[in-house]
Amino acid sequence: MNPEDLLQDRLARLETGELLEAVVSDLPPAEAELVRMAASLREVASVEQSNTAAQRQRLVRAAKENQTMSPQKPRARWMWPAALVGGLATVFACVAVLALSGAAWWVVSRQSAARDVPTQPAPIVAATAVPVQATDPQAAVLTQVRGVVEIQAADGSWAKTDSGALIRAGARLRTRALSGATLAFYDGSQAVLGPNTELSVDTLDAPKSGARVIRLTQWVGDSDHAVAKSDDPASRYEVQTPSGTGQAKGTAFHVSVSIAQVVRFDVTEGVVDVSHLDVIVIVVAGQSTTIVAGQPPQPPVFSIVGQGEVTQIGATWTIAGNNFLTDASTEIIGDPRVGDWVAFAGYLRPDGTRFAYSIVLLHRSLDNRFAFTGEVEVIGDTTWTIAGKAVRVDDVTRIEPGLMVGDEVEVRGGIADDGTLWATSIQRVIPNGFRFTGVVETLGDEAWVVSGISVTVNVSTTIEPGIVVGDRVLVTGQVLDDGTWLALTINKLEAETFDFVGVVISTDPWIVSGIAITTDERTQIDEGIDVGNRVRVRGRVLADGTWLAESIEQLDEGRRHHIEFTARVQSIDPWIVGAVVVTVDEQTKIIGDIAVGNWVTVKGNLLPDGTVLAKKITRVSRGQGCLTFSTVIRAIDANQIILLDGQVVDLSGDIEIEGDLQVAAVIWMRVCADEDGTLRIVSIIVIFVLNEVPPVIIITPPPPDDGSFTICHRPPGNPDNSHTLTVDAGSLQAHLGHGDTLGACGSGDGGGDDDDDDD
Amino acid sequence: MTDLAELVTRAQTGEADAIGRLYDQHQTEIFRYLWARVGERSVAEDLTGEVFMRMLTGLPGYRPSAAPFRAWLYQIARNLLIDHYRKTSKRKMISLQQVETVGDGAPDMVTMLDQRLTMERVHRALTRLDDAQREVVTLRFLGGLSLQEVAQTLGKTENAVKALQHRGLATLRHVLNQV
Repeated sequence: MNPEDLLQDRLARLETGELLEAVVSDLPPAEAELVRMAASLREVASVEQSNTAAQRQRLVRAAKENQTMSPQKPRARWMWPAALVGGLATVFACVAVLALSGAAWWVVSRQSAARDVPTQPAPIVAATAVPVQATDPQAAVLTQVRGVVEIQAADGSWAKTDSGALIRAGARLRTRALSGATLAFYDGSQAVLGPNTELSVDTLDAPKSGARVIRLTQWVGDSDHAVAKSDDPASRYEVQTPSGTGQAKGTAFHVSVSIAQVVRFDVTEGVVDVSHLDVIVIVVAGQSTTIVAGQPPQPPVFSIVGQGEVTQIGATWTIAGNNFLTDASTEIIGDPRVGDWVAFAGYLRPDGTRFAYSIVLLHRSLDNRFAFTGEVEVIGDTTWTIAGKAVRVDDVTRIEPGLMVGDEVEVRGGIADDGTLWATSIQRVIPNGFRFTGVVETLGDEAWVVSGISVTVNVSTTIEPGIVVGDRVLVTGQVLDDGTWLALTINKLEAETFDFVGVVISTDPWIVSGIAITTDERTQIDEGIDVGNRVRVRGRVLADGTWLAESIEQLDEGRRHHIEFTARVQSIDPWIVGAVVVTVDEQTKIIGDIAVGNWVTVKGNLLPDGTVLAKKITRVSRGQGCLTFSTVIRAIDANQIILLDGQVVDLSGDIEIEGDLQVAAVIWMRVCADEDGTLRIVSIIVIFVLNEVPPVIIITPPPPDDGSFTICHRPPGNPDNSHTLTVDAGSLQAHLGHGDTLGACGSGDGGGDDDDDDD
Repeated sequence: MTDLAELVTRAQTGEADAIGRLYDQHQTEIFRYLWARVGERSVAEDLTGEVFMRMLTGLPGYRPSAAPFRAWLYQIARNLLIDHYRKTSKRKMISLQQVETVGDGAPDMVTMLDQRLTMERVHRALTRLDDAQREVVTLRFLGGLSLQEVAQTLGKTENAVKALQHRGLATLRHVLNQV
């Protein structure tokens, strides 16, 4: 029997219920492995669909409607009911891991109250004023609570807690999804808890003077620590984890503990000693170390962070013009695709390659996408005419059921190479619709609080059974005239997008109907938006609950038949953008020096004949993004610096330099990729100065009883004269810094013993 | 007439209960298949819904003599996937010109099984297979189709499916062991 038949034979036996081990018992190992592989594929965990009840209900309802539908109807559109709110695109499952500022909610409620703006009432649940600084050295105050934060009672149960709670030694806290909080200590130190994080306060005595002792245990999740400086040598700020401990003095660092108990310490300022299994790794600013359960900390590596466009996906990703290796441990969130904009974090491997441990989708690519609103004029099997524009539809176009000629709809889709507009969705425009993902904070008969937003529920609200506090939910609904957010559906879905219509309370920072909106360089914001305007905000909910806007669009009567799209310029006289002919007139604003081949965003109106009259054509910055990485200056030569990896950087260009460039300085270097992929060094910032240019700094404690260490001393420039030395702890670092190693020299190292530090 | 055939017949007459039961019986496997292919749960959920809506519209014209019901249903799902990729995906598929034969190296199943297979991990590994292998592996082991049903769905011979099944699993094993 050939291998293919043999495999099928065994798979067939497996399918009849025979035990796996029996099936593979007489197979060669490699063939047995294939059978096991097939069996494990069939048992892939966590693949149950979450919305089956609603989906089945819709199917059955459609079947019933189908039976009663008039046969004269020109076409039965059995499309999926668009999730109740107009203009909602595909839901992207994404759990971002960015640690953005989480203070927004409380700030928002204060600001919105202070402004006298004609607006819908803010749906935010008002936060009561709470102290943000502890008044007792032996207690921390919980502040900036977002979402659901719980504290464990003596009987092991968890109870929701809120800003202002005093946290003392012995307390155990946890945050749920889309949630976070800050522990503010009396000495000014702070611990910021990210989502899905659990942390114990073991020891807490944090006076402003004298010895400060804070010991925390982080069981899982992410936290950021800002440690107040202390002159007392007995001061301690320690974060223990199941796989190791980080001890800091006057520094800032991040701790990440995965469910598999892989721990990472990232240091952004100062120094953190990370220890486990009698090994201490000294991690300085710009470095990180990883601890795998049961192993000592790994040597520190230099960190890389940034944002940029994805231009390649695979084992090697290209982001912001740079290649990154990935493996199964890389956390890839939101299913980024080529063209999308992502945030990434990683480190430089000793061999010079870059490794990404996190890639998070921030913005979908807008290239060759369009959106417009208008009146349905013709409904055809393959083509609709909307606002005079022909739009192709097919079986995967999401068409809201029941649409008729005359309805006002929003169309979204892609522009084909020949200029054809292919619709991905056609949905009725519902005034003041909303949709967002949040974490359930409270349940009520008349109102729920979801991520700080109070939504009204009534008999018309469809609520998926079984939802409890702490669940992540997708809420859709409509903002009523009185400002009430009426929920139409609440489901346990892992959508990560939001979309709502509201009134601008503030544009710096952005606050719309009381909701704080984060924007970045990729957020598309209509010009001229002012406080009091009605806007539509769409975007992505990040892991910590932050709402990152993809777009903020002004809503007014003039936007009827508005169209906008982003594509490459094919011709300028006449204007053809993405194969779409664009009419320009004397009122059209052409912004930027635009040439054929450039990417532009066209905003304008659809004329009755379906042509596009541009109001504005803007050249789109196509920079591919930037990365910031840390490294060490190995040497300085005239107007050049030589980095640890031997790379030579010419400083004569337009580079922003902060700090004193010197040998052994740890620097953050920011590099950006232009549209054509050219890499530019933008800035260099000195963040730390080492005693010497490293090799890796590892100390193995505890020291011998007499406080001395045995090392193999390799005289710089004369390695053949290596010899064993005994040195004290104070000079050990310097020796290791120039290449000496712990332990006696081997027989091949030459030289004899020497009890003196001769270096 | 089998239970399934009877159910399909009733569904073809528009009986809502029968349509609901067809959904109950096949939703999970369709969803698993789609999730493995698109790698994004919410998209797979949406597409699953669309598969059954298309089933609803297509049922009156379905002919059991042309293809078994499951094969027909998977053909709908595959067509939806093709449209989905055509319209929305710019993902660059990296195709290993994979290990066509099972190597002699010691199988590292202990290591592999230590890392629980998740759908995300499977999806990423599947992107390293060529299209034909990916189709067969996904339909066969994520969708749960028999060899014969996969052959009917893809319009291939059973021997061709056997060969693709073997090569696909070998490549997948190689990829998963690599990562």
